[in-house]
Amino acid sequence: MAGTMQKRGRGRRVTGILALAFILVGLYFALIEAPPDAYQGEVQRIMYVHIPSILTAYLSFFIVFIGSCLFLWKREKRDDILARSAAEIGVLFTSLTIIEGSIWGKPTWGVWWTWDARLTLTAILLLIFVGYLMLRSLIEDENRGAVCSAVVGVIGFLDIPLIHMSVYWWRTLHQPPSILRPDKLPWENVHPSMLIALAVNFAAFILLYFYLLSLRFRVGEMEEEVKTLKLYGGAS
Amino acid sequence: MRVVIRNLSKSYGLLWALKKIDLDFQSGECVALLGPNGAGKTTLLKLLSALLYPTTGEITLDDQRLHQGSSALRSAIGLLAPGEHFYEGLTLKENLRFFNSLYSRVKSPQEIEQTLDTVGLRNWSNDYVSSLSSGMKCRLAIAKCLLLEPKLLLLDEPYGVLDGNGVDLLEAYLMRLRQHGGIVVMATHHVSRILTICSRAIILRRGSLIFDEPRQEPWESFQRTFAEFLPRGEKWNS
Amino acid sequence: MELLKQTLWVLWKDLLLELRRRESILAMFFFGTLLLFVFHFAFEIPAEKAAEMAPGLLWLAFLFTGTLGLTQLFQAERENHCLDALLLSPMDRASLYLAKVFFNLFLMLLIELVVFPLFWVLFNLAFWNLLPSLFLVAFLGTIGFCVLGTLFSAVTLKARARELLLPLILFPLMIPVILATVRGMEIILRTGKFEEAFSWLRLLIGFDVIFFTVGFLIFEWVIEA
Repeated sequence: MAGTMQKRGRGRRVTGILALAFILVGLYFALIEAPPDAYQGEVQRIMYVHIPSILTAYLSFFIVFIGSCLFLWKREKRDDILARSAAEIGVLFTSLTIIEGSIWGKPTWGVWWTWDARLTLTAILLLIFVGYLMLRSLIEDENRGAVCSAVVGVIGFLDIPLIHMSVYWWRTLHQPPSILRPDKLPWENVHPSMLIALAVNFAAFILLYFYLLSLRFRVGEMEEEVKTLKLYGGAS
Repeated sequence: MRVVIRNLSKSYGLLWALKKIDLDFQSGECVALLGPNGAGKTTLLKLLSALLYPTTGEITLDDQRLHQGSSALRSAIGLLAPGEHFYEGLTLKENLRFFNSLYSRVKSPQEIEQTLDTVGLRNWSNDYVSSLSSGMKCRLAIAKCLLLEPKLLLLDEPYGVLDGNGVDLLEAYLMRLRQHGGIVVMATHHVSRILTICSRAIILRRGSLIFDEPRQEPWESFQRTFAEFLPRGEKWNS
Repeated sequence: MELLKQTLWVLWKDLLLELRRRESILAMFFFGTLLLFVFHFAFEIPAEKAAEMAPGLLWLAFLFTGTLGLTQLFQAERENHCLDALLLSPMDRASLYLAKVFFNLFLMLLIELVVFPLFWVLFNLAFWNLLPSLFLVAFLGTIGFCVLGTLFSAVTLKARARELLLPLILFPLMIPVILATVRGMEIILRTGKFEEAFSWLRLLIGFDVIFFTVGFLIFEWVIEA
């Protein structure tokens, strides 16, 4: 048991250090090595973090789903802690995504917000995460709170494809395509260092995400341990 | 019928309501469940009725685990809590019809009328439950039990609201239930009734079992243990 | 079979209680109508825009009215610990889900049957001939609302600030239904042809089927915990 804990702690530290390394290298590539975009100029550089942010946000949601499913099936506290941790970190990365999108949007479209499909979807994702966490905090009985938020986690995830479809149809059937095509990736005139920047930053975000997740998970485990100690200490 | 409780504990957050309870109930027993407020009596009854899930331990009914078992087990259990478990907006007959159907008991309207007559509520058959006094609601609960025929009957403080006739009615029913092999577990504070009809007494305090004995003459150990729960200045009258 | 019988009995009980007290239906009806009035003051709707905005405003009114109904949905069970009585019985938990979904659906359909024409009159709309097709779209959307709403009404049953929490969780998940219903109704009003809205209807039906199944399977965990 202690051996596993130590191994996990070591794994966490290694992930953390790797994340830091990749972030630094990624920053270098994103800000210095990669050339500015032909159309969008310097502001395009935010895509090197924006795209990984979106992907980690969705990854988070997937982990909430898996944790919720496992918890509903086996009722092991560990799965619930995983889901909860992923939801909290997910809120962080989703909010980041939206803020980055806004920052990119102001110079590009001239507005802080637009009801573009991807932004809208990310906002909805954030709302579902928030609902998940609020439900937990507003239910007094912890066990019940865990089961109920797991239900939100499962249903939320199953709903995502439907939300995706409906929002995309709504946007394409209704809005004429914007002049600047904001959600078009800069795949033409792609300088190799741009791809490298994207890849490195992607790895950096994934590593950072798992580092934060494992930290939060460990905190969650320790909270449970304290509770169990208090509980069984009081039983004798 | 046999009810076996092993290592049963229940916690609410950081509070233990029941701690490591071991009990056995056999057919024909009438067990009095006593203890001060907050001792865990209602929690134990709710666990026995499968309304709550244990934190540790398990309960088995005739060798079948209660909480993992099929819902059919639940049809053999009844919980009588005065004032509860009836829809105020429905009439007495409608309530009884409804619950009968949930338990898949096929009872004709005549049988329902007859049962209401037995408990002295025939004149109110078509009145809403909201118009009943608490004593009458308790009689209605007895009528429900008569129709549902549970084998394990749990009662949560039934004596507080019943008048003399009601008490006779209830105790006659409990006697019949025991004779047919049923088990009665009754949480109560009314010592005089316990000494009359119960075959065994269990005392809980702060979630732990501190007393468990079958009735005997004289029951000095019971008097001693129970005396501390009596109001100050009140003497024991056996 | 047993499940259906139990569902019908619970539904009978709820309908009987509602018929006598009329708590939910009256509150929902007046609230829905009130919303229409408020919309008229809040949004200056010129005649030519009325048809365009009608689906959105109507569906908004139904959404809020429906949420009111959802918070009341398990009210009968909260009195006298009747929920305990139901859980004590050998009844399948899924019957309770089915019965509550049907009950809520019934209430909402009644309200829609009245509010739809009322809206048409209040906002001086034409297209009376399109009302049946519009109603069908709304019906499919209402099913989606009831199916998820009932589940989350049970989920939030013992939560604090329940009236706030229920919409907070439910509305983001309802977005496909909101979009599909409103766009579907809009297309029918614009083109006059029912077939044009088929893709949205398919989405609605998919939503209804998926979440009805999920709700049916998951409900027993939600109501016990």
